[in-house]
Amino acid sequence: MKRFVKGTVTLLSLSTVVWLSGCGAAANSSSASAELGTLDPANPTKITFYTYSLAYPTMKPGMEQLIKEFNDTVGKEKGVIVEGIADTTMQQYKADISAGKEVDVVQHTFSTLDSSRLSLGFQAYEDVFPQEELDEHLKGISPNALELGKIDGKMYGLAFTFSTPIVFINGKLFEEAGLDPENPPKTWDEIKEASLAIKEKTGKDGFGLAPNNGWITEGLILSNGGEVLAKDRSKVNFANEAGIEAISMWKDLYHNGASAAGTDTELSEQFMAGNLGMYVSSTSLHSGVKQASEAGGWKLYGAGLPQFGDKPSVPVNSGSVLAVRPDSPEKNAAVWEFIKFVTGDRGYTIITSQIGYLPLRTALADDPNGLKDFVEQNPLYKINLEQLSRIQPVAIWPGDNATEIFTVFYDAIVKAVSSDEDAATVLKQAEDEINGMIQ
Amino acid sequence: MSKTIENLYAPPLAGKSEPLRQPWHQSKLWRRLKPYLYLLPAVALLGIWMYRPLLYTFYLAFHKWSMVPGTAKVFVGFDNFSRLLQNKSFVEAIGNTVFYTVGLLPFSIVIPLILAVVTDKMNDRMKNFYRALFFIPMILAPVSVSAIWRWLFHPSNGVVNHLLLKLGLIEEQIAFFSDASWARWIILFITGWKMIGFSTIMFAAALTSINREYYEAASIDGASSFRQFLNVTVPLMSPMILFMLTMSILFSSQWTFAYIDILTTGGPYGSSTNIYYEMYRFAFSNLNVGVSSAAAMLFFLAFGVIALALNAVSRKFAFYDN
Repeated sequence: MKRFVKGTVTLLSLSTVVWLSGCGAAANSSSASAELGTLDPANPTKITFYTYSLAYPTMKPGMEQLIKEFNDTVGKEKGVIVEGIADTTMQQYKADISAGKEVDVVQHTFSTLDSSRLSLGFQAYEDVFPQEELDEHLKGISPNALELGKIDGKMYGLAFTFSTPIVFINGKLFEEAGLDPENPPKTWDEIKEASLAIKEKTGKDGFGLAPNNGWITEGLILSNGGEVLAKDRSKVNFANEAGIEAISMWKDLYHNGASAAGTDTELSEQFMAGNLGMYVSSTSLHSGVKQASEAGGWKLYGAGLPQFGDKPSVPVNSGSVLAVRPDSPEKNAAVWEFIKFVTGDRGYTIITSQIGYLPLRTALADDPNGLKDFVEQNPLYKINLEQLSRIQPVAIWPGDNATEIFTVFYDAIVKAVSSDEDAATVLKQAEDEINGMIQ
Repeated sequence: MSKTIENLYAPPLAGKSEPLRQPWHQSKLWRRLKPYLYLLPAVALLGIWMYRPLLYTFYLAFHKWSMVPGTAKVFVGFDNFSRLLQNKSFVEAIGNTVFYTVGLLPFSIVIPLILAVVTDKMNDRMKNFYRALFFIPMILAPVSVSAIWRWLFHPSNGVVNHLLLKLGLIEEQIAFFSDASWARWIILFITGWKMIGFSTIMFAAALTSINREYYEAASIDGASSFRQFLNVTVPLMSPMILFMLTMSILFSSQWTFAYIDILTTGGPYGSSTNIYYEMYRFAFSNLNVGVSSAAAMLFFLAFGVIALALNAVSRKFAFYDN
């Protein structure tokens, strides 16, 4: 016993401290050029596609269909096999790139694209795909959308799954509270009023916007005339008067019974369980929310991002771009075939109808072979298509510190809204901290 | 030595007997080498999996690198350390690490000790039943455990809020995982709940090795059962108690990691994070392995000192009955 315990204590002491260690891998990097190699259907080229949509139950079937349909049609014909890898935390691709694995296409969020470009070896489209192919394919996608993934004039990501914020509305709770879901609240004042009415009449929470939503916040600040990141990306400016006013309004909802508390996941669960009157989120949840409403026996309504007074709201986009890092002409060709398919007419028809994102090829909404029927059956999409005219891009945080900057911003918003601390002080501190990192 | 070998192969001189040939497995060299050969597998494994990464971590702590194969590591001196110490979330993480370490002690020492002693007096069937019951949480996968607790503590759909509201203990639902005053307590509670079984089994094993005659002697002397626990059980279990203390202190940060990652990702605003989680974030979220290694190095030193201190405490206070 004595020797066992003594020995183990010593071993533990040693092993614990040693456990705190990392390891790395080394491999050769290779550069690519803008030429497409030859593909061989008899000997297909395999590429990996890291996607977070595969990791969410509401989006998984649609994404699986997209990949399968590519493999069964174009992939089979041209000689490309795509392996979809579910990336729940959007960290897996980083870890796998670090480990030297082949990571060819990544469904990448906007906010950290610059950071990945600098540190993870993602390529600009112009550098790996021939210009004439690009020009041909990008026809029909709105120029605004193409700007979203550009950094320093080069396209490091092609907008892929894409949505704007929407207020999902539980028609049953609305009616129980004596409100008209066909005529939803338009301003934040009306939201508060409706929310308190629902709470009073039904006992359930009336409204929910999670402080940790991560992107809708920016739309709130912009809608009130504020600014998050300066145009030249040299500083952040969210703690100006308009920004503080917007966040303080939200804080008021949160602390005065007009907003449900919880994380974004918890709020979506609460809404889907029929226990929340209004929930602000991305249209990408549409298919899941619709199913939940049918199962729960209530009707789903929607509204655009609410506005401050008479200023039209300014929604930001959420969603992803496709970022690529092929390392040979064959890979270039294989990746290009996949990108053409998933961002083409058929791809967007699947993405919109099966997952819920917006069609970046907006003409599809009026195309009888595309999404015309779907949009008519799901009128909520009209709200989002209408919002597209006012949309502004979500901030792509600058360079090396992108993730740290995003964390500081994100934590500050959660703290400003949910804690008792003064919103202005919290935001100002965060702004100074971020500007210190950028400069 | 080379002469000896030559002699071995030299032709025998006429009229002289052949020199005594030593079998190779009795040679001096072999005898000297043998213990090291026995050690080789363990040393090689430790070297490859422990010491090489450890030294590499020290090396990386002074470099800036994104861990992407093929990219260059840039030497930055003590930059990573100064950046780390200016980082607010890191400072908060240190505070939380202490919170989790101290907070876990009741779950790893006090409660299991009581449970082990109480169940020790039961008959064999009941004893095994209860101990199995306490041990089950230990063998459940952290991900499924987290999923269950997340549902129980859900602000609107969860049974905990439902009960508290029904009993009139609260008026508004509590969002446990997004309320800074609750999040780390819940993480601590879940980690502790999972720990109890392991410690209970360890203490139960130690209890069985205590000689029953001590209790007989004590009861003849008129000692109450509490007194017996205090003066017989605790001193004789001191080696195991100190062992569990060491385990608990050194590993509490690792044990909380999974729940932090799954339930709160360190939030709200960094209030439930700990040092291990921050290190993970520096390396795999921010892709800054230099800062992560610098943090690892600081904690190597801090935990090293703690481990040595615990070793000394163990030597001084552990009482062995042999």
